[in-house]
Amino acid sequence: MALEDYRGDMEMCCRCSTCKFIPMQKVKGAQYVNVCPSIAKYNFHAYSAGGRLNIAAAMLKDGFKYTDKLLDIVYNCQLCGACGVSCNYAMDMEVLQPISEFRLRCVEDGKTNPALDKVIAGLQKQGTMVPGAKGKRGDWATGLKLKDATKEKVDVLYHVGCLTSYDKNMQKLAKATVKILQKAGVNFGIAGNAETCCGGRAYQMGYKEDFLNQAKKNMDMIKKAGIKTLVTGCADGYQAFKVLYDKYNLKGDLEVLHISEYIDKLIKDGKLKLNKKVNLNVTYHDPCRLGRLGEPWIHWEGKKVPGDRFVFDPPKEYRRGTKGVYEPPRDVLKSIPGVKLTEMTRIKEYAWCCGAGGGVNESNPGFARWTARERIEEAGSTGAEAIVTACPWCEKNFSETIKENGSNLKVYDIVELVEKAI
Amino acid sequence: MALNKEVYKEFEDVVGEENICNDPAIMPAYFSTEFAAVILPGNTAEVQAIVKLCNKHKMQFRPICTGWTGMFPPGIILLDLRRMNRIIEINEKNMYAVVEPYVISSQLQAELMKRGLNFCIKGAGTNCTAMLRGHGHMDQTTSGDDRNHLAIEWITPEGDIVRSGSLGSSDEWFCGDGPGPSLRSILTSAVPPGVTPGVFTKAAVKLYHWSGPSAYPVEGISPHYSLSEIPPNMMARYFSFPSVEKMWQAELKIGESEICFELMGFNISMVAANITTSNEEEEETFNRLNKEVQGPGFFVIVVGDTPADFEYKQRVLEKIVSENDGKSLKAVEDPRIEGILMCQCTRISASIRETFRNGGAFNSIPIMGQRDLTIKWAIGAGKAKEPLIEKGYIVDDGGAFFGWGVEQGHLGKTEIFCKFDPGNPEAKAAVEGWQKEQNRRAFTERYFASTMGPQDEIGPALLNYHLWWQKITEALDPNGVSPSGGSLV
Ligand SMILES: Cc1cc2nc3c(=O)[nH]c(=O)nc-3n(C[C@H](O)[C@H](O)[C@H](O)COP(=O)(O)OP(=O)(O)OC[C@H]3O[C@@H](n4cnc5c(N)ncnc54)[C@H](O)[C@@H]3O)c2cc1C
Ligand code: SF4
Ligand code: SF4
Repeated sequence: MALEDYRGDMEMCCRCSTCKFIPMQKVKGAQYVNVCPSIAKYNFHAYSAGGRLNIAAAMLKDGFKYTDKLLDIVYNCQLCGACGVSCNYAMDMEVLQPISEFRLRCVEDGKTNPALDKVIAGLQKQGTMVPGAKGKRGDWATGLKLKDATKEKVDVLYHVGCLTSYDKNMQKLAKATVKILQKAGVNFGIAGNAETCCGGRAYQMGYKEDFLNQAKKNMDMIKKAGIKTLVTGCADGYQAFKVLYDKYNLKGDLEVLHISEYIDKLIKDGKLKLNKKVNLNVTYHDPCRLGRLGEPWIHWEGKKVPGDRFVFDPPKEYRRGTKGVYEPPRDVLKSIPGVKLTEMTRIKEYAWCCGAGGGVNESNPGFARWTARERIEEAGSTGAEAIVTACPWCEKNFSETIKENGSNLKVYDIVELVEKAI
Repeated sequence: MALNKEVYKEFEDVVGEENICNDPAIMPAYFSTEFAAVILPGNTAEVQAIVKLCNKHKMQFRPICTGWTGMFPPGIILLDLRRMNRIIEINEKNMYAVVEPYVISSQLQAELMKRGLNFCIKGAGTNCTAMLRGHGHMDQTTSGDDRNHLAIEWITPEGDIVRSGSLGSSDEWFCGDGPGPSLRSILTSAVPPGVTPGVFTKAAVKLYHWSGPSAYPVEGISPHYSLSEIPPNMMARYFSFPSVEKMWQAELKIGESEICFELMGFNISMVAANITTSNEEEEETFNRLNKEVQGPGFFVIVVGDTPADFEYKQRVLEKIVSENDGKSLKAVEDPRIEGILMCQCTRISASIRETFRNGGAFNSIPIMGQRDLTIKWAIGAGKAKEPLIEKGYIVDDGGAFFGWGVEQGHLGKTEIFCKFDPGNPEAKAAVEGWQKEQNRRAFTERYFASTMGPQDEIGPALLNYHLWWQKITEALDPNGVSPSGGSLV
């Protein structure tokens, strides 16, 4: 759907500001009430979801008038979707979709962000979102003797993802995942050098064509190899394969699982035993694209019913963040002996973003770190020694922010703790 | 009026470049108004400096808190008070809280509930400012409107700082009327054209006793929130009555006996909106519940201070309801629905479902005053909605109105609205016509003088208050920097 298709949704915005905050019933005090990093940092209403919708609606009506400020607004948004959850507690209207479409329109019109252009040039050249990546994608697996899923028959393809493959500090996540899957006796493989970027982050940045390119490459490989189940270690990858590929009718019947869901299943099926004690007080950070934005896509086409209500024929079911992946990672953490989980104020569907999404990590690293700082402080307020996440981009942003600002908080991906427990 | 570079620079020097903007890109976000600039002051001193600059350059300005409402002429300076968001003090002993403009009600309420306190929250919702006056669901025990404003820190239209009430003679916020200047009638006026000019930078609001939980046990994932259990000594019910008269008598008796923490005269369409998570579900629920109710009704929340107190209040309620042939709505007796409503109607978090979800717009006629009189008027206003419903211009809510008792029924609020699709010009015109006609009828038939009616007709009937107000604002605002129009709530 194009921006124009969301005109009605945008016009429904009543400017109530609810999209700036966590759902009102969940507000526990004066602190940690904000949910939208963009308005929290930049303060002008234009940076909130409501403001964005009002602006986009006005542009549809009066023509697109690009200014530097407009582009600053457009690109300083993590596309984290928290706004939509809060709005959709009460309202029946799309929020994140038009915001995302507006970004796609900017790119289509050539109004891009130079930092993001660079990243996309890297993607086009090297098939990765890690600019200036050195070596080959599958180097991290050298010596591990893993099955090549493009050649050998496997039950599960482990899609490693760009950051975990190329970033030397993140490769530990791939190795931990391998150990866990081997311990559970899973017949899995990787695509090694044949793996390519899922395209999800390119889509967030607004580059739809590059996303579609990547999606087609991936699905061609997957179909050719006869893969039925794909497990991703990265929340961006999860959302891309599971939700975005489906949105563009590219997913077919591929089963997509996040590693936390898969580990949860292995534990519940008795295939994986966590019996080593890991004495640690932790809190869990829901990655946006595993949590609220990991909710399955709902295919729908319909027309507004003429009359007084904003209703459709056939009725439209909204993705309100209800069906994201919230419990599996928590269940995994709870099954690790010695781990004590204390929740933050902003969790699950109304979790505060780590800051790294929507291209912000690349276009405005200062804003990405500012957003992470807020989360680190919130995590610290629970008394936890460590913040556990389920996405390498979150881990990287948290770790770098801690390095920059100092904090005793440790950062782990969930697979690192599971690895310690087996 | 566009700002020239030099003037812009003067404002920028006050707040810093990141807190002022006149780029056309941001304007559609702000009420689709071409403001001369939007400025984000961070404290009282900055507000004062900006107001002084506005006087120097004869620029009009208007402030907003969260900015849900308000009508603003183009070309003025908009002061978005978003950065002023601190709870300055919660004084448990003297039962007041001092807040800045951008503390939202849910923040203050959450802090208060931990301390066994609560405050009057505007029916609009906890997403709005806690600082401005208003009235809402809990008025039965928390009163409403200007009764809840204590001392206020006010930047006058000329840029002076005035500290009203006890703050005028000490650093205490406990009273709005003294010792110190009492400016209550000017400061908290909400009656057009009586909108208070200038800017409140801090205000003390009155607090009330709360015997409910320190936090509700909310479970589930949005939008399916519910309570894992009904908190002890609490109960929520909806009662319908065979006639308006019986409902009103029950409402009076409940007020007299002071047994309900909340009495909210929801019509059944509002109940349906509150407890459902989509438009389709709401319509189906409304049709179902509408068959079950016997007539108009209200929603109550009972909170006991002790088990004995709770039992006593329940018994009295039962007696009053049965004496007036009231009937409890079965749906609300289901603990899941009871919990949802209890939480939503104290943490005021579903008004948007009642108002905007259907069609994206609603026009309303709200009246504070004597309930029996305003109810009589509202019956007629409800009847007048029927042709609009038949033509499909407005959402079918059975033509209903709603309202509630304030301060255990000493005062009352009655309101009636039409929900419609603002994209349909015929519907919009029909609703505006209805509004005009019902306001006129209220005035000519002597029910009340609507603040939305024409001032030159209403003013003379009310001691020419509008002319007096004009004189006051001229004296306060010699440079004419406060645009007319708008409303404080
Ligand atoms: C759906 C809906 C339901 C509503 N229901 C109710 C209700 O039940 N009861 C009720 O009382 N009201 C109700 N209202 C009106 C409501 O009170 C206001 O919308 C709410 O208080 C606005 O809070 P805000 O933070 O958005 O204020 P704003 O919209 O920011 O301000 C409201 C007005 O006050 C002025 N103002 C703002 N800040 C200051 C300041 N610091 N100093 C001086 N003037 C200032 C503004 O210029 C504006 O005219 C409702 C509104 C809506 C949209
Ligand atoms: S986007 Fe939704 S929550 Fe935000 S202002 Fe608009 S209606 Fe309110
Ligand atoms: S997507 Fe996230 S950052 Fe962007 S407007 Fe919504 S809440 Fe704010």
